[in-house]
Amino acid sequence: MNTTSHLLLMALFAGCVAVVGGVLLKDAPRQQARTAAEIFGSLVGAALVLGWVLYFFPL
Amino acid sequence: MAERPSSKRAARPAATAPAAPHAARPLALVYLLGWLIPGGGHLWLGRTVKGIVFLVMLPAMFVIGLALDGRLFPLTPGDPLVALASIANLGSGLPYFIAQALGFGAGRALAATYEYGNAFLITAGLLNALVIIDAHDIALGRK
Repeated sequence: MNTTSHLLLMALFAGCVAVVGGVLLKDAPRQQARTAAEIFGSLVGAALVLGWVLYFFPL
Repeated sequence: MAERPSSKRAARPAATAPAAPHAARPLALVYLLGWLIPGGGHLWLGRTVKGIVFLVMLPAMFVIGLALDGRLFPLTPGDPLVALASIANLGSGLPYFIAQALGFGAGRALAATYEYGNAFLITAGLLNALVIIDAHDIALGRK
């Protein structure tokens, strides 16, 4: 795979986990889509927040 | 005063009542099928849409992990972290054995995407374990 964009790879990872998680946790398609969106948003959002926190507190 | 159930509430118990257990499906086979073929347990239990989603997504994550130069870790009891990663890799089932047989999964630690590849490979195996547990619940009629 040619891309080395961390943001893109993180979003791809979050998307895969979100789809599997949504389908696993819920039965109705609408609920599955909502849960998947929540998981995706949580993963990407948490990563971005942690990224900015670490920016201000470098090792 | 007796509480009068609304029509919505009255309809709920029937809609969420647990399904009958799949008595004709031996649990061991559900586990084995679900492990070897991600989503295979669901497909066998008649949950076709869920099974297809797992059948597509989990091997796709595995292949992406390999494409990102991730490593399939060897089972080394002396190194607990590597051993745990190896067990997680094993969770992917047939894709793991096929990749091993074809010589994939050596990993390239110098690649910028190495850790991402490992994350994809390990997570694919762990998610498949959750999928097997879900198939177990369906087989027992809990879902």
